[in-house]
Formats: sequence, C-alpha cells, structure tokens
Amino acid sequence: MSKRIVYMMMCLLKGVFLFSQSASCIKFSPSFGSEKLSADSVYYLNVSDSIQITSLRFYVSNMELLDNNKSVWIDSNPFHLIDAFNEKTLSVIVPSNISYSKLKFNLGIDSTTNVSGAMGGDLDPTKGMYWTWQSGYINFKLEGTSNISKTRHNEFQFHLGGYQHPFNSLQTVFIEITSKSTIEINIDLLQIFQQINLAQQHHIMSPGQEAMDFSEKVIQSLSIKK
Amino acid sequence: MRKVWSIGIVLFLVLCAFQITKEPLFSVPTSWPKPVYDFSKNPLTAQKVELGRALFYDPLLSKNNQISCASCHSPFTAFTHVDHDLSHGIEDRIGTRNSPALMNLAWHQSFMWDGAINHLDMQALAPISHPNEMGEKIESVVKKLQQSKNYSALFLKAFGDSIITGEHTLKAISQFMLTLVSSNSKYDSVMRKQAQFTPQQKNGYTIFQKNCAACHAEPLFTNLQFENNGLAVDTTLNDYGRMRITKNKSDSLKFKVPTLRNIEFSFPYMHDGRFKTIAAVLKHYTSGVKHSQTLSVHLQKPMILSSNDKVDLTAFLLTLTDKSFLFNTKYGFPKK
Ligand code: HEC
Ligand code: HEC
Repeated sequence: MSKRIVYMMMCLLKGVFLFSQSASCIKFSPSFGSEKLSADSVYYLNVSDSIQITSLRFYVSNMELLDNNKSVWIDSNPFHLIDAFNEKTLSVIVPSNISYSKLKFNLGIDSTTNVSGAMGGDLDPTKGMYWTWQSGYINFKLEGTSNISKTRHNEFQFHLGGYQHPFNSLQTVFIEITSKSTIEINIDLLQIFQQINLAQQHHIMSPGQEAMDFSEKVIQSLSIKK
Repeated sequence: MRKVWSIGIVLFLVLCAFQITKEPLFSVPTSWPKPVYDFSKNPLTAQKVELGRALFYDPLLSKNNQISCASCHSPFTAFTHVDHDLSHGIEDRIGTRNSPALMNLAWHQSFMWDGAINHLDMQALAPISHPNEMGEKIESVVKKLQQSKNYSALFLKAFGDSIITGEHTLKAISQFMLTLVSSNSKYDSVMRKQAQFTPQQKNGYTIFQKNCAACHAEPLFTNLQFENNGLAVDTTLNDYGRMRITKNKSDSLKFKVPTLRNIEFSFPYMHDGRFKTIAAVLKHYTSGVKHSQTLSVHLQKPMILSSNDKVDLTAFLLTLTDKSFLFNTKYGFPKK
C-alpha cells in the first residue's frame, strides 16, 4: 500500500517537473485477478493448479490522446518498455490541461522501427526484447512456472512478436478514458490464463499464427480501473 | 636557399595532394546502384570504423573468449571460413550452414542464406548468441567491453560517450563491415575500360550473361533475391531455406543468391558448402539440377555447356578476383 502512495507522489513530482502547468499519469497495473502482480506470489487457477510469474515485459508505443477522434497529444517519446516488476517503468506522463476522451497506443513495435537497425534507450537490444536468430522485436514477454506445464522445470515462455505480413502481431489499442490525475490501465493475467491450456500451450518463441492469437488475448485482458 | 624553398614547396604540394586524395571511408563505385543501408542513421567516421574493426577481430565477443567474427570470416578468403563446409564455433561445435563471404553488404536488404536478419546492424546479434557459434549474450558482451579500459577509450573516441550500449556496439561493427567493398577486380577494370578481357574471358562473359546473370546479376553478381537453384536436400540437415522465415511453401528450398565476386577464394560453395570447386558447381548446373515445385524459372530448361564453354566461363569467373580487396591492410587484424 505504502509503495503505491510513494509511487503516486513520484508521478505527481515527475509531472511538476515536466509540465509546469499540470500533468497526469497513465499507469499500467498488472494483476492476477484482483491481486496486484508480484514476483514472489503463487497464484491459483483452481484448488490444485498454481502459477508463478517470473517475467512480464512488453512494449507500449506511439501513445496518443484523442478528443472526438481528433488527435490532441502525441507522445514525444514513442517507445516504452514496461516491466511489471520494475515500478519505474510502469507510468507515462501525459498533459492534463487538455481534454480527451480516448487513449490510443500500440502494444508492440511497428514494422518500420523493426527494420531500422540498431537503436538505443528502451529499444537497445541489450534489453532482452530482441530476437537474435531472426530479426525482430519481442512485443510481449510472459514467463513463469506452473504445475500444469509438463515441461522442464514446469516452465512456460510466451514471446510474442512478428512484424511481417501475414504474421504481424502488433496490436493497436483504443481505450475510452476520462481526464483525471492517474489513469490506471489494468492488465489481468488471470483472464489470459483462463483462455489457454498450459498443458498444451507453454511455449511461443517465434512469429506465427499462435503469436497473433495470443496477442489478441493480451489486449482483451486490458481494462481501465474505475 | 632556393633549393630549400623548392623542396619546401614540393613537400607542401605532396602533403596537399595527400589530403585531397585521402580515400573516403565508403564510396559508391561508378555506375553501381544506390546502397540500401541508411548511412544517415549511422554516419561513418574513421574512429567508429576502427572500433568496429577491433570488435570484429576480438574473441571477447564469444562466451569462451576464443572465437571472433574473423574466425569464421577471414579477410584472406573474402571473409568466409575456408576448408569447412559447415562453420565451426565455440568448443568446436559445428553449425548447420557455410559462412558466406562478406563484401558489398551496404547493398544487401537482408542477411543470412534465408534472409532471417533484416538489417546489417542486427546481424552480429545472431552469431554472438548462437550456442554453436559464439554462445554469448549481447548483455554480457557489453558488460565485458565496459570493463575494458581500452574499449572505454575507443567508444569515447568514436561516440563521445564512454558508456557502452548495445546500439553503439552493433553500429560500430556495421561500420567496419560497410567498408568491405570489393570493386577492383579485372572485370571492374574492363567495365571501366582500363583493361581488356582475353578472348577466352570474353567468351566466358557471354556464357555467363546468358546462363547465370539472371540470378548473379551485375555489378554485385547477385540479384539479392531468394531462389531455388536445384540443389537436392541434404537429408542430414533438412534445410528448406527461406521457408523457415516466411512459413510459406512457395519459398521452400530458396536461398539468398550469393555474390560471385572473389569466388576463387570463397570455397567451399553453397549454403552447406557441398561443392569444393568451381568445376563441381558447373557440373551441378549442367547435370545435377533437381526439379521441384519451387525450382527457379531460369533453370527449368537444361543448361548445356561444352567442356570448352566451362573452361571459358571459369576463366571469366576468375576475373572477379579482387586482390586489392583480399589483401587490403585496412581490413586486416587491427594494429595494437
Ligand atoms: C561460428 C562461425 C561464425 C562466427 C563466429 C560468425 N559468423 Fe557470420 N556467419 C556465419 C554463418 C554460418 C553465416 C550464414 C548463416 C545462415 O545463413 O544461417 C553467417 C552470416 C553472416 C553475415 C550475412 C552475410 C550475408 O551475405 O547474408 C554477416 C554480415 C555476418 N555473418 C557477420 C558476422 C559478424 C559481424 C560476426 C561477429 C559478431 C560473425 N559473423 C561471426 C558464421 C559465423
Ligand atoms: C536461378 C538462379 C541462379 C542461376 C541461373 C545461377 N545461380 Fe548460382 N546460385 C544461385 C543460388 C540461389 C545459389 C545459392 C544456393 C544455395 O546455397 O542453396 C547459387 C550459388 C552459386 C555458387 C556458390 C557461391 C558461394 O559462395 O557459395 C556459385 C559458384 C554459382 N552459384 C555459380 C553460378 C554460375 C556459374 C551460374 C551460371 C552457369 C549460376 N550460378 C546460375 C542461383 C542461381
């Protein structure tokens, strides 16, 4: 709880520095059902089946605020690598002195950026979000263990990406929002795990239909916290 | 006194001439197409090229600190791995493909035999992290570089920043590879009207244009497309080439057309190094082509070459040897 308060203060402070007028904060809050996601917790799908998450990282890119379907703000820093277990990465500052009704962003990295060579910051290939044997960014990475996956160490690994037709897994998200100081976007992993069977599906490591279908499930798990 | 003056003037002129004729790091040979590489995103400088060269020759990039890029891409053989059909990596592990010769990479759109890599900058990541090649992670390479005083200084000189990033490491390696331009073979001199083919080479050139140039297109001697040239599948490797990337059946058995420049030195040939000599390659094209769904339209009809034709064609292929490229000291092991 206290972490959250400290965090909100940080958001506010960041805002004060960046936009001397006023700013709000878009914050991604990963959860498992109603519980905040943490790396040490064991979550239960039912009485006997458990899941632990070791990594949840994804790219949010080209954020844009819209009012009446007209763009009113475009993020000047287009690429954010969100890491569920690194509080610093979870929020993006947006101005609040404008009115808007919709948020648009891409989950993943667009195809032009994918073919533009080495880049720095959150796109640096040392961030572990780049495929080495076949060029392309990993848009979304979810890793952990579960007794259901009958794999080595019960691991599951979902690396979603692919920018080339017909396997472009980039997802564009539109969310209705109202202006307020902190807009919280919840990503609920329980909703994802309820739709898949870890006994049969425990690894996605390359672009393809499977990655595209999984990416759809990811955006369905997004919602605005009221 | 006069003598001193004139010596002075001569010296001055020589120095001026040296300044003016100082070779650029990269230039597009006359009548070649525009390079594909976007130099505006990674402008070449002497310091960056030098850093890239140091990295290219440094086994620090591998997990056991024993294999460098040059282990598989040696300068004396047009930057390929001689004597090995499949390239060897750390702990003598054997890869599944033959290392291609490296040159004129600024014109390439995609890399690897199957085009798995979409940009020259990203190429180095593949061998660095491949368990059979260098078996390392770019994260740890950057850490190792960061701990080296020598590299902190080189990065500072090159990028104005001693903090080493993956981006800068990859861009520097690209810079060195971009300078590997081969455009001074006898063939090039003939095209520039500075030399003449012998009658045999000339006849070979005509045979080449008729039978080979559709895929091995001038001036790069590759059209940079993916084609099936009728090699039978090696059932120990089951490599279907481009199909692995596109997952499209129509790309089965298609491989990136390799350049024929410096072919005299870049044996063994083909993606799996199955042929050791040019004669064996020509035998393939005249009597070994396997028909399949995806065989290129250019090889549907049998290729008929007499033994004289083959001798002449080979003589022409040898005019693609570029000694100034193969023995260019600027490309060699960096001076300490
Ligand atoms: C263990 C041997 C090995 C090492 C070490 C190695 N390579 Fe390669 N290289 C290969 C092989 C094999 C291929 C072709 C692989 C394929 O097509 O799947 C290749 C392909 C390439 C290509 C693509 C060429 C083209 O025409 O498509 C480039 C560029 C390249 N390597 C650069 C490098 C650089 C830079 C390094 C060092 C960071 C390096 N290589 C280290 C074996 C190696
Ligand atoms: C249909 C297009 C096509 C035509 C026509 C063609 N080639 Fe090729 N060539 C290729 C492809 C594709 C490869 C690589 C195949 C592989 O490794 O799987 C290749 C490979 C080669 C190689 C090996 C190069 C290396 O570095 O490994 C040589 C040599 C060669 N061709 C010579 C010729 C000659 C000589 C002719 C004309 C007699 C010719 N080719 C006609 C497509 C073609």
